[in-house]
Amino acid sequence: MYEKETGVVFDIKEFAVFDGPGIRTTVFLKGCPLRCRWCHNPEGLSPAPQLMVSRAACTRCGACEKVCPSPGACILCGACIPQCRSGLRKIAGTRMGAAELADRLKKDADIYGATGGGVTFSGGEPLLQWSFLREVIRLLPGIHTAVETSGYASDEVFRECMDICGLVMLDWKVSDPALHRAYTGVDQLPILRHARMLAEGDTPFILRMPIIPGVNDNPEHFRFAARLVEGAKSLVRVDLLPYQRAAGAKYEMVGRMYDPGFDEDRVPCFFPEEFESRGIPFQRF
Amino acid sequence: MTERIKEIKEYQWEKRHHKARQPLPETLCYRDPGLSDTLRSALRTKQALDAEQPFLFPGEYIAFTRTLPNLPFLYDEGEWADITSTHFIHESGNVSNLSPDYEAVLQHGLLYFRERLGDGELHKATRITIDALLSLTARYAAAAREAGDEELATVLDRVPAQGARTFREALQSLRILHYAMWCEGDYHNTLGRFDQYMMPYLADDLQAGRETEESALELVEAFFLACNRDSDLYPGMQQGDNGQSMVLGGMTRDGADGYNLLTGLCLDACGELMLIDPKINLRVNKNTPLWVYEKGTRLTRLGLGFPQYQNDDVVIPGLVRLGYAEGDARDYAVAACWEFIIPGKGMEIPNIGALPFANIVDEAIRFDLKDCTDMQALKEKVRQRIFDSVAAAMAERKNLYIIPSPFLSLFFEGCMDSGRDISLGCRYNNWGLHGTGLAPAADMLAAVEQKVFEEGLPVDTLLAALEADFVGYEELHESLKYHSPKMGNDEDRVDALACWLLESFAEAVSGHKNERGGILRAGTGSAMYYIFHANELGATADGREAGVPLPANYAPSLNIRLNGPVSLIKSFTKPDLEKTINGGPLTVEFSDRVFAQEESITKVAQLVQLFVLRGGHQIQLNTVNRERLLDAQRHPEKYRNLIVRVWGWSGYFVELDKCYQDHIIQRTQLNV
Repeated sequence: MYEKETGVVFDIKEFAVFDGPGIRTTVFLKGCPLRCRWCHNPEGLSPAPQLMVSRAACTRCGACEKVCPSPGACILCGACIPQCRSGLRKIAGTRMGAAELADRLKKDADIYGATGGGVTFSGGEPLLQWSFLREVIRLLPGIHTAVETSGYASDEVFRECMDICGLVMLDWKVSDPALHRAYTGVDQLPILRHARMLAEGDTPFILRMPIIPGVNDNPEHFRFAARLVEGAKSLVRVDLLPYQRAAGAKYEMVGRMYDPGFDEDRVPCFFPEEFESRGIPFQRF
Repeated sequence: MTERIKEIKEYQWEKRHHKARQPLPETLCYRDPGLSDTLRSALRTKQALDAEQPFLFPGEYIAFTRTLPNLPFLYDEGEWADITSTHFIHESGNVSNLSPDYEAVLQHGLLYFRERLGDGELHKATRITIDALLSLTARYAAAAREAGDEELATVLDRVPAQGARTFREALQSLRILHYAMWCEGDYHNTLGRFDQYMMPYLADDLQAGRETEESALELVEAFFLACNRDSDLYPGMQQGDNGQSMVLGGMTRDGADGYNLLTGLCLDACGELMLIDPKINLRVNKNTPLWVYEKGTRLTRLGLGFPQYQNDDVVIPGLVRLGYAEGDARDYAVAACWEFIIPGKGMEIPNIGALPFANIVDEAIRFDLKDCTDMQALKEKVRQRIFDSVAAAMAERKNLYIIPSPFLSLFFEGCMDSGRDISLGCRYNNWGLHGTGLAPAADMLAAVEQKVFEEGLPVDTLLAALEADFVGYEELHESLKYHSPKMGNDEDRVDALACWLLESFAEAVSGHKNERGGILRAGTGSAMYYIFHANELGATADGREAGVPLPANYAPSLNIRLNGPVSLIKSFTKPDLEKTINGGPLTVEFSDRVFAQEESITKVAQLVQLFVLRGGHQIQLNTVNRERLLDAQRHPEKYRNLIVRVWGWSGYFVELDKCYQDHIIQRTQLNV
């Protein structure tokens, strides 16, 4: 079947317990405009499918090289994958049609419905493939949908997203604009604007704060975030997500260097009183 | 947990009571060729009970501790060789894996039954065991009195000689009765529907103000602790496989909901104690509220490997369909692992053998496939092999001999009236076969259907690849392992094959009668056969390499790509499980990361409830942390209290043989 809207998906995960209410499935869309230094899904950065190789366990048997038709310039033919006895090679990212993805998700609609769950779109940055995503959501009538986003998108896209999604989970990463650019690679302004749109709007939202040691584990950041959502009637809660030491594990698999630029081993500080004193519900992971 | 309980727990965790353990007696008074086996058994029990010396813990609550760790065998080697040469012997030859009906003995006391004994062989034998047990109880009472514990002494003055009047007396009586069964050589002695037969005593105490919920919890904990005291003496296939299972909740005989206050107290006690016994089975149905599942899930989160849930809506009609009376079916208990048995009425052997699904399908592929022109023809061959395998298992199991158990016979319907020992049979005498490797078997068939019959893969190529363990056939291996349908991913074509395999199994056992007039039941459990049967297999058509174990129980293949728990539950609720109701749970492994947030309790509970609502029969969940398990293999001394579920029971990880440890590490975890 020919599908006009297609997108690149790098994972579909059932029973994603941290991605919204009830029993839900999370779809990871590939490609992200941000370059957060702590990103733990580096295969979600590039918008294109790519070969992932787990090099640490490689025995250099050479079986993959023997069958490669294009050494040094991968054409994603996948010929090398079955050759690896240790199963260390895979292709991350599959192009899917909107209807194809929607059908896969609808299969479990009864279960989402029975448990107050639904479908969550994450990434990467899901709004980067908005026309695809919008079409998928349109094909899921009656299913609760949530989006996990960096908020880095056009105002128009963000507005549409708020209008058609049941829940928006917006990351609030760094409050200081200069540090924001330094640690995420992008301008904070559109994200701040979208956070305010959520705070003033009717779409239920969760503010998610990755807490990175030495980057944003300071009282000013917590206070800024608390003020941002103080009084927001559609705020569900704030999620505080401490940095996970294992974040760098997948970088070498996609041929990138993990260079966090902060002390990974330091336990981050928390200032929950900024939320407590304002009566803002929050949850610490 | 109260200070008193903490103190007892600490004492037994440090194994300080082991110092009281004595060597085996040298003279075995019962090995007299002139004695019947029934009398012999009673005299052996008497010798064991007479040799026992009262041992009281500091702060003792529910007494009775084994000090004679082992029982000498009933027969000498020559005698046993004669018996085994002409009889089929199940496991060790003792009565095992039954659910005694404690209710009447708790209520009336042993003397009531003793008065009604006559001079027949069984009655004489039973009287000997009762007298020996009451004599030991009197010595315990004296010891308690001497230690200044008048309260305990008074309880022991009363039970089990007479009927229990209070919850404490009932618990103490139960402890003594259960203890004596072990001393008789019976094993996998289950505790049955504890919350049902115990609740009347607790209700009276609460009503009369003798106990509060808090004091009742303390008593339950004291009883549970006592169950763990000697459990190291009762290894089955592995340490921890001791059959001390308990059933909670579920429909009562008259159709009411049996969940009561005591059910909840038992679950709370397990959560506080964090010990492997008793192994909890929770009966649920379509009306069970979510909070009950949430309560169970809190235990799952602790990594205890229980509760195991059984669905009354499937089990009860399944048992009725097999010929069990409705009231008995409603009263079902769970055997040592997962088999459904009837308290006080069944002398059933639900684990008499196993149908090796994976091996049968593998043989059909290796020997029959080349003559098959289509899938239907292959299925016919598989079906024939299933029927042959069941028939062969029955043919081998003739002239069963079981060592008599005159004490245990007290707890079974009709034994005293008829003078027939329980080892000879009871109202239900059915046998059960497990079914191992269902998912790999279905996966193999699906792979052949797709690759051979649809895509034209030559049979010779497939067989050569299996012979070579896929070396030189890497693309085919990849395609079989990762690109053919797998049971557990909610793909109808492979799930339908699994349904068909189970249906064939149910049809194959149907009509078989064992020599005791019982029927044969088909099941979905594996017991240890998941290791045994895998060792007999080379590489298989589902892409499984030689040496990879089969999944335990009713679970997806190892090392495959699974979509996740939702697909898993959908796949495994497709078969009509009423027809294969011997028992055997879907086993789901969760990474402990799942429980990082409190709301996951609700979500996991919802998942279990979904399984039940969709017609699943039995489910059991594990919470594991792979890194911790690997570390425990390297540093066992740091992980003495690490509990894992093995096949039908929870045990201490560091006490398992390595092959069972490795299997747990290898099972596919559902991470988040």
